[in-house]
Amino acid sequence: MNTRYSDNRALPVRILSILGKVLILGTASIFTAFPFIWMMVSALKTKADILNTEIFFPTVPQWSNITSIIFDSPIPRYIFNSAWVSAVIVALQIVSGAMLAYALVFLKFRTNKMLFAIVMATYMLPVAATYIPSYIILADWKMLDSFRGLIISSTVSIFGIFLLRQGFMQIPKGLVEAARMDGASHWRALWEVVCPMTKASFITFGLMNFISTYNNYMWPSLITKSSEYFLVSQGLRAFFIRDGAYGTEWALVMAASAVVVIPLLVLFAFTQKWFINGIGGETGIKG
Amino acid sequence: MAEIILKNVTKEYENGFQAVKNINLEIKDNEFVILVGPSGCGKSTTLRMIAGLEDISDGDLYLDGKRINDVSPQDRDIAMVFQNYALYPHMTVYQNIAYSLKIKKVPKDEIDKRVKDVAASLGLENLLDRRPGQLSGGQKQRVAMGRAIIRHPKAFLMDEPLSNLDAKLRGQMRVEIADLYRRLNTTFIYVTHDQTEAMTLGTKIVVMKDGEIMQIDNPTNLFNYPNNKFVAGFIGTPTMNFFEGEIEEKGDGLILKTRDGFIPLTAEKAAKVREGGWVGKKVTAGIRPEHVELSDQDSAAFRGEVSVFELLGSNAIIYTQCQDDRIIMNTDQTQYQEHGKEIFLKVKEAKLHLFDPETERTITN
Repeated sequence: MNTRYSDNRALPVRILSILGKVLILGTASIFTAFPFIWMMVSALKTKADILNTEIFFPTVPQWSNITSIIFDSPIPRYIFNSAWVSAVIVALQIVSGAMLAYALVFLKFRTNKMLFAIVMATYMLPVAATYIPSYIILADWKMLDSFRGLIISSTVSIFGIFLLRQGFMQIPKGLVEAARMDGASHWRALWEVVCPMTKASFITFGLMNFISTYNNYMWPSLITKSSEYFLVSQGLRAFFIRDGAYGTEWALVMAASAVVVIPLLVLFAFTQKWFINGIGGETGIKG
Repeated sequence: MAEIILKNVTKEYENGFQAVKNINLEIKDNEFVILVGPSGCGKSTTLRMIAGLEDISDGDLYLDGKRINDVSPQDRDIAMVFQNYALYPHMTVYQNIAYSLKIKKVPKDEIDKRVKDVAASLGLENLLDRRPGQLSGGQKQRVAMGRAIIRHPKAFLMDEPLSNLDAKLRGQMRVEIADLYRRLNTTFIYVTHDQTEAMTLGTKIVVMKDGEIMQIDNPTNLFNYPNNKFVAGFIGTPTMNFFEGEIEEKGDGLILKTRDGFIPLTAEKAAKVREGGWVGKKVTAGIRPEHVELSDQDSAAFRGEVSVFELLGSNAIIYTQCQDDRIIMNTDQTQYQEHGKEIFLKVKEAKLHLFDPETERTITN
């Protein structure tokens, strides 16, 4: 907006510049949003409409696709599994991440920097490289094919530790010291002083990890095989290939996919403000 | 109310730097102790060690006879006011002040009563619903003090609490702190680099330099009887004039020979100089600007040109550039001197201080 006042370039140049931006951003948005929109409209089509490439919007919206997914399929069960497993995992990740980030930022101890380096080094490791050792550990603990296994294996998030640490570093150390002088333990200082001041980081962390856990496919499919423990991605795939009907019920597959996404959209709608703040690095602290 | 004792306390950082070197300090109940010194002298580190925010590398710290080196800050029952106030930005003034009581699980009614009492005593009644971001510097300062006094702690620690305020407000808050001290009747430890604050507030002043204690005394003694050249120069505004001179015999007595003249030594000072074997030797002399006077050529100790005449209201400061030294004189406003004019200065002999030029220790005050 400031360009209106500060831009001294000639009018045609300015128009071209704006057009260029609109074009680039518009194209990027279309490429990003199109598959999603396609999925949404296809969820309301008949099978014939889907296969007819000449029509984009459904001739008659098939709301029954959605209702049959909600009432007559195991998809809601998978959504429920995903939602509560993700919620528990994120809660544990927030507690463990916040504690470590607090120690890294506010406590003085000899191995502080080394500890952070080690933590970050594990972030560089490809996730796939940890599958086998993690699988063996879970097998030893008899936690394969269970929610416990899914949860225990994801209690720590390196990304979260990093994100919270960056947020905590914006807080003047004096505030934590003041809380300590006021009689607060480290635990209280973390949750009553540091946490409210870095709300954006916490919400961003929670939301991003909730989404990735909710959508996680590879790891859950490695350690769970009973359908009662399926999370949505695994459940969708199972639904997709149900009864050997691979790829035949496109309308229902699209409807299932659309239904699965709805909880995330709702969540994002409520936390969007904080999410953008957290990613942008602004923690909402004002003197 | 508390007695705090530091015994051979040292703070050494991991890189080997010693911020505080083997200091011994006894703070009695109800004393208002000021730690003063230039930046980097270790005063804040000392305060933070007492608070428990810095580990003590060596030595012992006692609070009411109990060694508290390893007691965490939350269990020391000591309150602290920070330089930048450190108010919790997400809490209202009320919540900021009440926070320590909430932690102690004091009943809500009592918290409410105490917060309102403290707010009333600090003039914060109308600000209780505001957040720190909506307060002025002086108001933040008051909230920070309110947060400290509501707890009735054993001791108050204040780390340069006025340094972020403008000069006028600083003067006003200084009076309020002095008043608070009288009302609360408890131990205060106050860190500042401003010697005016130190002199006006403290009952006991600890002057520090490079991690060591230079002198511990009351304000009057520090001003009149400094232990060494550093203390003499640090305490008092404008600062003390220092110049070189030689002790010589003259008649029955001794004089300090300066470049442009001489200063006779009083019998008392002469005795101390003789005792120390300084006759015939070079010494560093010091005289406070208020003890320098205009004189005629015959009795002058200095001759020089006026470089600056500063009118400060009822008094004026005259900076005189002599051959080797710059002599500052604090006089009254009627003594106007034109820039560049040659003037002669003498000193009040009884107020002369002499220092060992090597060790900078006082020979006589």
